[in-house]
Amino acid sequence: MDLGLLKILGIVILLAPLGAAGVCGALGPRRLRDRTHWVSILGVGSAAVAALVLLTHVASRGSGEVSTHEGAHAAVGATIPIYDWIPTGVVGRDASGGGITDEQVGTFPHRWFRVEFLVDPLTAIMLATVTCIALLIVVYSRDYMRHHGHAERGYERFFAYLALFVFSMCALVLGGNFLLLYLGWEAVGLCSYLLIGFYYGKPSAAAAAKKAFLVNRVGDFGFGLGILLIYLTFGTLSYPDVFDMLARNVDAAGTALETSKLTTIALLLFCGAAGKSAQIPLYVWLPDAMEGPSPVSALIHAATMVTAGVYMIARCGAIFVHSETAMLVVAAAGACTALFAATIALVQTDMKRILAYSTISQLGYMFLALGVYAADSAVFHLFTHAFFKALLFLGAGSVMHAMGGVIDVRQFSGLRRVLPKTCALVVIGSLALGGFPMLSGFFSKDEILHHALHVHPVLGMMGLATAVLTAFYTFRMVFLAFSGPQRVPEGVHPHESGGWMIAPMSVLAVGAVVVGYLGVGFTGKPFHTFLEPVIAHTFLAAGPNAAGAHGAAGEVVGHAASGGFLAEYGLMILSGGLSVLAILAAYVVYARAPWMAATARATFPRAHDVLWNKYRVDEAYDRVIVQPLRALGRVCFYLDEYLVDGIIWVISFVPQALGYGARGVQRGALQGYGLAMGVGLAIVVTVVLTW
Amino acid sequence: MSSWILTLVIFAPLAGVGALAMVRGDNKRAIERVALGASLAALVLAVGAALLFFRDAPQSGFGLKATYAWLEGGASEDALSGGRGSIGGVDVAYRVGVDGISIWLLLLTAFLTPLAIASSFSAIQERVREYYILMLLLETAMLGVFCALDLLLFYIFFEFTLVPLFFLIGIWGGSERRRASVKFFLYTLAGSMITFAGVLYTAYYAYRSGAGAFTLNLEELMRLSRAGAFPVGVQGWIFLSFAAGFAIKVPLFPLHTWLPLAHTEAPTAGSVILAGVLLKLGTYGFCRLSLPLLPEASRAFAPALAVLAIIGIVYTALAAWVQTDVKKLVAYSSVSHLGFCMLGLFSMKLAGMNGAVMYMINHGLSTGALFLVIGCLYERYHTREFAKLGGLARRMPVMAFFLIVFTLSSIGLPGLNGFIGEFLVLLGTATSGSTMDGLAPGPLGFSYAAVAATGIILGAVYMLYMCGRVLFGPLVEPVQAGGVGHGERDEHGGSSGHGEPHDDGHGGGDLTRREVAILAPIAAICLLLGVYPKPMLTSIQAAAEANIFSVDDRRQAEVEAAPGGGRAAQGNAEFGMPNAELTCRRVEDSREAVVFLTPHFARLLSSSDGGGDLRVGRTARVASTGGDP
Repeated sequence: MDLGLLKILGIVILLAPLGAAGVCGALGPRRLRDRTHWVSILGVGSAAVAALVLLTHVASRGSGEVSTHEGAHAAVGATIPIYDWIPTGVVGRDASGGGITDEQVGTFPHRWFRVEFLVDPLTAIMLATVTCIALLIVVYSRDYMRHHGHAERGYERFFAYLALFVFSMCALVLGGNFLLLYLGWEAVGLCSYLLIGFYYGKPSAAAAAKKAFLVNRVGDFGFGLGILLIYLTFGTLSYPDVFDMLARNVDAAGTALETSKLTTIALLLFCGAAGKSAQIPLYVWLPDAMEGPSPVSALIHAATMVTAGVYMIARCGAIFVHSETAMLVVAAAGACTALFAATIALVQTDMKRILAYSTISQLGYMFLALGVYAADSAVFHLFTHAFFKALLFLGAGSVMHAMGGVIDVRQFSGLRRVLPKTCALVVIGSLALGGFPMLSGFFSKDEILHHALHVHPVLGMMGLATAVLTAFYTFRMVFLAFSGPQRVPEGVHPHESGGWMIAPMSVLAVGAVVVGYLGVGFTGKPFHTFLEPVIAHTFLAAGPNAAGAHGAAGEVVGHAASGGFLAEYGLMILSGGLSVLAILAAYVVYARAPWMAATARATFPRAHDVLWNKYRVDEAYDRVIVQPLRALGRVCFYLDEYLVDGIIWVISFVPQALGYGARGVQRGALQGYGLAMGVGLAIVVTVVLTW
Repeated sequence: MSSWILTLVIFAPLAGVGALAMVRGDNKRAIERVALGASLAALVLAVGAALLFFRDAPQSGFGLKATYAWLEGGASEDALSGGRGSIGGVDVAYRVGVDGISIWLLLLTAFLTPLAIASSFSAIQERVREYYILMLLLETAMLGVFCALDLLLFYIFFEFTLVPLFFLIGIWGGSERRRASVKFFLYTLAGSMITFAGVLYTAYYAYRSGAGAFTLNLEELMRLSRAGAFPVGVQGWIFLSFAAGFAIKVPLFPLHTWLPLAHTEAPTAGSVILAGVLLKLGTYGFCRLSLPLLPEASRAFAPALAVLAIIGIVYTALAAWVQTDVKKLVAYSSVSHLGFCMLGLFSMKLAGMNGAVMYMINHGLSTGALFLVIGCLYERYHTREFAKLGGLARRMPVMAFFLIVFTLSSIGLPGLNGFIGEFLVLLGTATSGSTMDGLAPGPLGFSYAAVAATGIILGAVYMLYMCGRVLFGPLVEPVQAGGVGHGERDEHGGSSGHGEPHDDGHGGGDLTRREVAILAPIAAICLLLGVYPKPMLTSIQAAAEANIFSVDDRRQAEVEAAPGGGRAAQGNAEFGMPNAELTCRRVEDSREAVVFLTPHFARLLSSSDGGGDLRVGRTARVASTGGDP
């Protein structure tokens, strides 16, 4: 690869949005004001162009070498050092060999944690997805934020944050070592914090922002420890070095790796992924994150940032596949989250929250895919999901825009007439999400189910059940909002959104329909082929489809392998059929016979209650973790005020007491002095004589 | 030039004191200008000193050194020039010099003081002259500590910081200023008295071990220590006496209770200097004196100190979370942060050391800046209670921006300075047991890092809690302050204008130009250090390697070179002393040590032939340093 070009592209991808953020922040409030969006569009646009160039560059070069599995990392990825960042404290002595003398102390080059890029197909795909979707959303925000901005200085701030987010996410993806991954990881967390709390005057928004940051920090705690353990084990944090050592199965000291250690590392990393990608048990922040403006929900809390965990596990496959425990945990957490979130989504009435739970659920699918060694399917689902979920959130935003900020589906219905374009676009997105045959979501989800059923049938069945629920609740939302008699909240004059909003949605809708064909058998699965070199030595080599791993697995349908018609298409037909049935059921229940829903709710009030209150997980966390900790804090403070300080006070009393005691001696009475003198002399004499 | 530049830096503020005394009448503005000018002069000189230092770039040892005889009847010429052989006498002199660690702390001090002075222009309305005189005296003392290469000089400057701050808190402080200042003074004085005893004992012991004089020359002492002049038992006592003063200054749990009170009651500039620089005197003392002079005792006590540091990190973080006063919250956070510093220092690793020193700088910048922002709030609203403040981002967006930036720096957001210090400290702690950096395995380990890292979560918890309360949510302002100030653009926002603009002209307006000019440089440096810390970290690391650990390293090397016989077999040639005599004394001393010290120590003494596999990495280095004297 042309490293010079890649370096320039990488720098553009990072600095263009960062510069835009700076300009928006510095000049926005005074100079640019209503024109601030142009700066953001320019910055993110440049990044998107650079990312696409980078993608084509990687693709054009990559195709020839896909089949060569030897030295995958050297061949596939390019590490591009930018500059030395933090010294490790370790002197790079291995080059010279042997020890160093005193005179040489400080003269040897130290090893550094560098700022470096890693460019490979996975990076290229992620960058292209992130920047392009971000660009569409920035364009959309131009109109949306006009009306939903803050009373004061909101518009400029919004675009500054958005550009900053693009920078952070690109840094996360482009970084060539774990430290930069962590940098991006925290930075996107910060942007998420700022954007969720965008309407900071609203207490709920401020609380949601804080919650998101803190829950993520809990995950990052594990993540950070995982990174420290990686350093402790491998003596480096650079991806190629770490993966290379993993491939050779040696640690820094040259001894063989212990599985238990790798399991620990993998589970710690998974903590971080669970936080960022909203998996059980750290998913609680994502639904609340919907307090942010809709474009933010679309970009950050649906399409891009929340997929960071998926990216990370795909990137660190070399670590995860060493540990079956970790893989099982990932898969199980994914499947459970998928099903769990889908059940909650069944009864919610806030359109954005329904979509939020569906995001959690879909992320669960991606984790399930990772856990069953199908990282390419996970990334593929990430890719298709980005399109249709961004589309749905923007659609919800468009509805909110028309309804004057109301997003509760109980407050309106029959919007298909007043919002025809939005309605059509949302339906397309919902079909893709619900797994309607031949749309993008259908292909990617089906692939995951296929692998999951094969590796962990139970988890696979959970996935299948989730698919049915997904189709059902998605169309519940669609029918509640768009069908039935036209009804809008009082005082609202609904109007269709303008071109600045509809155009980006249309692009996403096209994507939601067609991108799935990048990963289907009859187009040759270009997506998977492109990605294969990255994961060939990790997930594919360790997975059940690997050569030599057949045997018991029997008639496995491999990535390119083909079985009979049923084996290959049976599941597709089944899941497609189930999806259609579920959509029909939603149509019947919510568009034709609303009494059925009411009856169901009346029949199972308990169940409805539990789901409506999201299983009361938030309350449980508050009671089990937050309140006790705060009580502990209070205890600490009182201890500090009274006990610790008290002990010090007692100690300080000793000299004072001595002083009181000594005061008696200094009365000035000569007899006393004389007596003391005599006694003292006697003691000294005794001591000296007996020594 | 390079020999007197440090002296100029140290005494530039003192010259300012003289100038202040000459300002006629109660011309407040003139006084302020002179004070600011003097501190800026010190800053310029300090930057000049740094440039000179890095131009010469000594690979090891100290740069910009200067020595002037000071106490009469003291050392002979020989001893002054660093030679040995003069018998008797006291080798005490004015010795200054800096290395890659102290130069940054010097710069930090010179940088923060002008900002602290500038931030006082509006807050200090009474006894202006005295106030600035004390500030400048304080600056001289602080600069002196970081330059001193003589234990007596170090101690004098160290002690002298107490006096100005005592008056600064006691006169210009809050409602409980008396109690706070007295508590602060007694606490730290009690500690440093013990430290002084340790200093004298060190000098005495150096004399006994053949230094030829009762020396307080730091470099000479380092040389002696390197040669094994301080037996383990002696080291233990000296370490404890040093620790008494330094641990209170840091402050280390459970000796921290003076700090929240002092911080809360101090005037803004006092808090800035206290958090920014004075707390670092403790950690600096540990890293300048304890670690290089007393390597084995440091190693032995490290686990205990680390445990205290970790307790402090978690405990004070929790306590910070329940505070109702913004300033007190930040004060508690200081204790928590300094715990990380201690952890890094006693990880005995280059990464940890590097991180700890950078953490000192970072904490000085971000916490100092937080106090400045809180001071701005207090000047406007005359309260720091959470209950009375809320949603101020609406009223003061620029203030909100700075508060968030410094909060993020403080909680270690990557890309800002705080992260790098924190990361290196944890890295050093976690890898303490390894030999990756060529040093002997340190006493800490991954579990220490894991527990300490919970402090990072808690740090985010209480800092964001604070930001959330103060900046976000519905606007809440104390009724009498409120006001519109000079914020026309904020007016259309909503509930503006209940109450009158306050009579000091500030009201609830956003930051003034002066305040922005104070905060912006700090924010810029936070960002710069986060993105490109290379120059700083390189020099810190070189200094740590040369001036702090090399001693330890070589001693350790000897232990390995002569298993069993141990430390006795060195240094004799250097002193020209009969081998046997020295050995005898050593044996006695180590017996003393066993009686005196903790189990760690016993383990240390018996470990000269154990723990083999961990040391593999080191042996390479030993081989070529040639372990023989």
